[in-house]
Amino acid sequence: CKEAFLEQPAVGSLSEDVLATEAGVNGLLLGAYGALDGSAIGFDPWVTTPMNWIFGDVAGADAHKGAVGGDQSSINGVANFSIDASNGILNAKWTAGYEGITRTNDVLKVLEQVPEGQIDGATAQRVSAEARFLRAHYYFELRKIFGNIPWIDEQTTELRQPNQEAVWPKIEEDFRYAFDNLPALQTQLGRVNKWAAAAYLGKTYLYQSKYLEAKAIFDQVITEGHTADGQPYGLVDEFYKVFYAEWKNHRESVFAVQMAVNDGTNDITNANNGNMLNFPFYSPFRCCGFYQPTQDLVNSFKTDATTGLPELTNYNQNPVKNDMRIAADAPFTPYTGPLDPRLDWTVGRRGVPYLDWGHHPGVAWLRDQAYGGPYNSKKNIYWQATQEQYADQSSWAPGTANNVMIIRFADVLLMAAEAEAEAGSLEKAQSYVNLIRARAANPSGWLHAYADAKNPLDGFSNTPAANYRIGEYPAGTFAGWGKARAKAAIHFERRIELAMEGHRFFDLVRWGDAEQTLNDFFAYESAITTDISDGHFQSNKNEYFPIPQIQIDRSIDASGNATLIQNPGYN
Amino acid sequence: QEQITVRGTVTDSLSGEPLTGVSVTQKGTNNGAATDAQGKFAIQLDRPDAVLLFSSIGYKVAEYPVGSTAELQVSLEFDALGLEQVVVVGYGTKQKKDLMGSVAVVDVAAMQKQPASSITNQLQGRAAGVTVIGSGRPGEEPQVRIRGFNTFGNNAPLYVVDGVPLQSIASLNPNDVASMQVLKDAGAASIYGSRAANGVIIVTTKSGGSRISVSYDGYYGSERPKKGNVWDLLSPTEMAELKWMADPSKRSADPQYGNGATPRLPDYISPAGRMEGEVDHSLYNVDPRYTDPESLNGFYRIVKANQAGTNWYEEIFRPAPITSHNVSVSGGGDRSTFLFSLNHFDQQGTLINTYVKRQTLRANSQFKIGDRVRVGENMAVSISNQMGGGGNAIMMAFRQQPIIPVRDIMGNYAGSFGSDLGNALNPVAIQERTKNNRNKGNRLLGSMHLEADILSNFTFRTQFGGELYAGYSHQFGYPEYENSANENTVNSYSEQSSYGYNWTWTNTLRYEATIADIHQLTAVAGVESYKNEGRNLSGSTQGYFSFDPDFTTLSTGSGTQTNASSRWADALFSTFARVDYNLMQRYLVGATIRRDGSSRFLNYQYGWFPAASAAWRISEEPFWDIAWMSDFKLRGSYGVMGNQMNVAPDNAFTTFTGNRYASFYDINGSGNGIEMGFQRGRVGNPDAKWERNINANIGFDAVFFGGKLDVTADYYRKDVVDLLYNPQLPGTAGTATSPFVNIAQMTNQGIDLAVNTSLPIGDQVKFNGQLTFTTYRNEIVKVSDDAQYFEQDSRRFSGAYIVRNGVGTSIGQFYGYQIDGFWNTQEEITAANAGAPGGTYQAGMGLGRFRYADRNNDGLVNASDRTFLGNPSPDFSYGLNLAVEYRQFDFSMFLFGVSGNDVWNQLKWWHDFYPTFGGAKSRTALHDSWTPTRHQATAPIQEVNATFSTSQVPNSYYVENGSYLRAKNAQLGYTLPDRACSRLGIRNLRLYVAGTNLFTITGYSGTDPEIPGGNTSFGIDEGIYPAQRQYLLGLTFTY
Repeated sequence: CKEAFLEQPAVGSLSEDVLATEAGVNGLLLGAYGALDGSAIGFDPWVTTPMNWIFGDVAGADAHKGAVGGDQSSINGVANFSIDASNGILNAKWTAGYEGITRTNDVLKVLEQVPEGQIDGATAQRVSAEARFLRAHYYFELRKIFGNIPWIDEQTTELRQPNQEAVWPKIEEDFRYAFDNLPALQTQLGRVNKWAAAAYLGKTYLYQSKYLEAKAIFDQVITEGHTADGQPYGLVDEFYKVFYAEWKNHRESVFAVQMAVNDGTNDITNANNGNMLNFPFYSPFRCCGFYQPTQDLVNSFKTDATTGLPELTNYNQNPVKNDMRIAADAPFTPYTGPLDPRLDWTVGRRGVPYLDWGHHPGVAWLRDQAYGGPYNSKKNIYWQATQEQYADQSSWAPGTANNVMIIRFADVLLMAAEAEAEAGSLEKAQSYVNLIRARAANPSGWLHAYADAKNPLDGFSNTPAANYRIGEYPAGTFAGWGKARAKAAIHFERRIELAMEGHRFFDLVRWGDAEQTLNDFFAYESAITTDISDGHFQSNKNEYFPIPQIQIDRSIDASGNATLIQNPGYN
Repeated sequence: QEQITVRGTVTDSLSGEPLTGVSVTQKGTNNGAATDAQGKFAIQLDRPDAVLLFSSIGYKVAEYPVGSTAELQVSLEFDALGLEQVVVVGYGTKQKKDLMGSVAVVDVAAMQKQPASSITNQLQGRAAGVTVIGSGRPGEEPQVRIRGFNTFGNNAPLYVVDGVPLQSIASLNPNDVASMQVLKDAGAASIYGSRAANGVIIVTTKSGGSRISVSYDGYYGSERPKKGNVWDLLSPTEMAELKWMADPSKRSADPQYGNGATPRLPDYISPAGRMEGEVDHSLYNVDPRYTDPESLNGFYRIVKANQAGTNWYEEIFRPAPITSHNVSVSGGGDRSTFLFSLNHFDQQGTLINTYVKRQTLRANSQFKIGDRVRVGENMAVSISNQMGGGGNAIMMAFRQQPIIPVRDIMGNYAGSFGSDLGNALNPVAIQERTKNNRNKGNRLLGSMHLEADILSNFTFRTQFGGELYAGYSHQFGYPEYENSANENTVNSYSEQSSYGYNWTWTNTLRYEATIADIHQLTAVAGVESYKNEGRNLSGSTQGYFSFDPDFTTLSTGSGTQTNASSRWADALFSTFARVDYNLMQRYLVGATIRRDGSSRFLNYQYGWFPAASAAWRISEEPFWDIAWMSDFKLRGSYGVMGNQMNVAPDNAFTTFTGNRYASFYDINGSGNGIEMGFQRGRVGNPDAKWERNINANIGFDAVFFGGKLDVTADYYRKDVVDLLYNPQLPGTAGTATSPFVNIAQMTNQGIDLAVNTSLPIGDQVKFNGQLTFTTYRNEIVKVSDDAQYFEQDSRRFSGAYIVRNGVGTSIGQFYGYQIDGFWNTQEEITAANAGAPGGTYQAGMGLGRFRYADRNNDGLVNASDRTFLGNPSPDFSYGLNLAVEYRQFDFSMFLFGVSGNDVWNQLKWWHDFYPTFGGAKSRTALHDSWTPTRHQATAPIQEVNATFSTSQVPNSYYVENGSYLRAKNAQLGYTLPDRACSRLGIRNLRLYVAGTNLFTITGYSGTDPEIPGGNTSFGIDEGIYPAQRQYLLGLTFTY
């Protein structure tokens, strides 16, 4: 009696052995997917989002942190590379990554414990391949941000692992396993398939400069690849349909984090929570005015009036006109020079339709124009006409059903172009780039002026919203330019096609261009806004962010030594 | 056997007045009686040679042999020394002179002069070794700590009310309390074993006497908030000047202040920056009760600038009444006593819509059944309505810009909507929108007991008691429209309910004997079981057609319905014993032992908690002849106390959970539905066991000058080993809750001192003084095998922490960069960089920004140069109660102070740096900040960017000395002379006026230096609810 009196089982939770069934393992696998959005795991979702607007775009000079100086000021350290190891956003990103890894390891561990005959071989294989895909993704995220990271897998018992061993081979191995073992078709759209693994494997090769391997696998993805529901990979006809929830899980979506609104939680933790700060301020979106595109980015969308090709160098000369220091009620005519039509699906700028919300009003929607510049982001916004379906207003900032695309097919083509160029096939590289440009040139995918400017919900006219000019590279251009300039053109195309999608900083580092590009940017942009006046990128240091100090402190082993070693330049 | 009846009268030896309620017992038995209103008693004795003991609180015990006297005349001597005062200790009582452990006996009557909703509020400064920190928030339970820290988790003491252990006594009616003792050391508290480590506070409620008595206690008062610019904020004109100074780029085109060399205050802030005549009032369109979030887009707000400036503090704080009525009826006879009381307490907070209202009903009664059996019960029911909250409103009041008025031109709320007005919310709106919210609690607290005398020296007692409680709350979330960032645009409603109970069943057998007149032996042995269970249930929905509180239920919304529940349960099973031996009233030794089993542990469920104590009353020795020191006792104890409170009930288990927010996923790509997924919730530790708090205490009790002065002093040391702590696992473990393991260590030492004096001055003046003095020194000896610290409280530093609990330091210390002045010249910066490896001395350097100290002299400033910046624990705290009686008048004053503690003033972050959100700024920012011509400044340069070298990381700028001395209470009373009373037919009547928090002497710049906080992170001020000045009028009478 006495013994039973003190027996108190855990309430409201499950034990490992209860989960050692097919359904249990599948639940754990869904939990491993559930960590993809970095949300609701104890840290600021805007830091942990796989969309990486902070570590990819703010660090990569495509975007200002935005808002006002003191709001989320720890991001300033990313914007101007003054970050120190005690900055909490580092620990957030680090821990969120390992939370994802832990969940994938739990899938693999419990899968081993499922009794013989309780799960069929094909299912077990699929589950382990999905888990290893996700694990490799989480490691990829950490690898590109922190550089030197410890490897923990389902066999690891000592959690204090050193961070000086190469993890690329292990990431590669996981993606290779996933590619070899995943089905090509999945019954559920959100599951990764064989081709997503192939594309990510190619990306992994590219990050290691293994161009031949990358080329080979991208070839396969481009020719054979298809989505989980069997749509052959391809570019969506209209550029803007790539981004918004209305059209998501399209043929271009290779690996996307699924987002859901109004899902019964009365919260936006599954609704693109990581972008919650990134809406215009003083606006119907309420909050919070972060993630403002830079003038430098906007200028890169200028095109040649006749060829419709970008200015690869000196694009900051004769900049795109902006409305800095022009009062909301003072007249303003937007820039009339030739522009790549993708600009106005990437950047919200004054006088141009902001989806169906009306013309962007300039300073009236900005929290501090002098600080963060005159622009707002656009790819992450929802449409007014469909907000009931695709937006969620149950939190202090909006949520959306826009997926976060980790890899989309345009990205695959541009990565393949890089691999081809590096491997010497400039013609093929150019053809990939031209596929991208041809899609952008489709006029039905351009932004058009409103049919009635007073009633933006009435739809659009047939008049393009600005002076759009875009053309393909004429045959033989890349070959004529040679490898170096061809690569520059591919890189430039990558910037404007994938702008504000969280890639830029990692690309710059990968290309070895970060120091030059970013310090040029600081020199140019700091004359326009006040936020990055003390920005400076230091090579051989700022390519990677510091290992969180708190993690170094917690990695001290029995002999009193830290098993984690700080990245160069941060000690 | 022949029964004889002895009668008699008991009187006061000085006045000759009859004494009522004196306990009369036959020595060596439990046979007893009590005196009636005329001081008369009658007792049946079974032997003619019996000896009778007469005892009454405040009087020395008297022994009378019965002999042949038929009518005993007994006079009791007033016990100036209080040595024979009966003190309730664990599972029994003792006389004060027999105490060996450290027990603080609280002067309940003096304590009750403090008007408060609970006795824990009144306890501040009244008992040496007890630290109480509260705030002005009505109904908020203050933090009570006995002798510093014992654990990283909950440090709250165990309360034992009429023998029933409880975690909180918030619902107890302060007027019902008869006595209160604080058991501080192992010698006194160890008998409570596993729950003793944080100290034990024993409360006994009143019971009836022999005569019928009706008494009333009541007061009415008013709390008066501070007035004026309490946060030292800038006026609208000065705000504009600051903007022009910090952000010259605004001078060319500012949305509010125009353009030009000097800013111009607008007449309207919405539409931004307009002057009179430029606004078309007919465009105004705001529907404050909109139900479609999309209609927000069509609103046209017109808000006039408050050019004189809104004082947001004065807008949300206003004078507030406090009322208490207490009626009690008591009485009894030979065989039974009863007490019945009713209390109505109503305190409005000075912050709008904060209050606590409580009704308490109590019935205590005791019966004798035959000569050997006694039964009794104590029962109290309380019903409370409480709205505490308001922290957000206070924070918004110090953030909201003064140019914003409370309301717009049509009387709807005004806010930060407009341009460049920051993103704070309207604090008046926040509080007014809570007016239909309710938070109710009902609690039944009580126990029943039966006591039986077995044989001649044994008493068996069984007691069953506990509490049964239920809580209910509901809130409505109004849509906002007035802010720059409206956080709620969808109206919502939520309800929560909880219910729970806990019970304790205690069975003890007590033995008492006096052998050969010089050996006194008492022993108690018992078993106790405890069970605690409860549940929470909550739900919410959105989209109400009407906001009428009569309409809103969980069923009448139109949005998604959510529900949630949780439950908890735990149990303890214990056996315990105590033996005390007293030789010749001089040499005392005692021992206790307890074995506790807890459901929170799996592999090591049981723990043993022994303690021993001894005392030597040197003054009883024949050689003692110090006339001015009539009593002197040395005491010492050593023992082990336990703790298990901070371990989650499921700590032993590794668990997985499904969580809609964190582990569910839209695997179908539907865009609006999520599928169940699991994540690891907790890493289990089946090997967790009891924390052991090894406690040594040495002290003395001394009485001087025939009772005019007495001193109790104790020195203690506590070594907490096997301290349960959940070390932060490396990030590679993910985010599952890490288990508590017995890994940390901590020590505490300190001195408690209590001095009482009672001095007649002449014939008519009586002076009473009580001083309590408390110190504690805490040191963390070990955190875990690898971690040297754990951090807490990031506030607005985005993951860089203010508080570090580190090995070798005291709990809760502030941590960060030490400021070493400003960068005054470019040359200083260049020189510092030149000497720095890598070429950068410090991130974000710039003229007028902080220069941080390079603590490790490696030529640059980085994370390893952070240091401890301050300690929120005081060097000492003290309470001083002074009371004077002159004829019918009495005056008392209670002072309380702490000294040597630091406060982290987080308001400075909001006020003294221009870029920390566009909210209200301080006069320091404008008038005392660094400029190229003002190097002798307090704040750094005002500029647009927040940097590592200014407001982005915790540094020494925020640390202030938090010492203060406060007049907690002063009271002037008048008691009606006896003759007047008898003419009115009453026994006693007293009228008084009182003031609380009359003055505070402090160097701290915030609104109140008394700042509550958590267990391992406290003393951080980010807009506390200040304790305000209060005036009261009170009346007490007995019939």
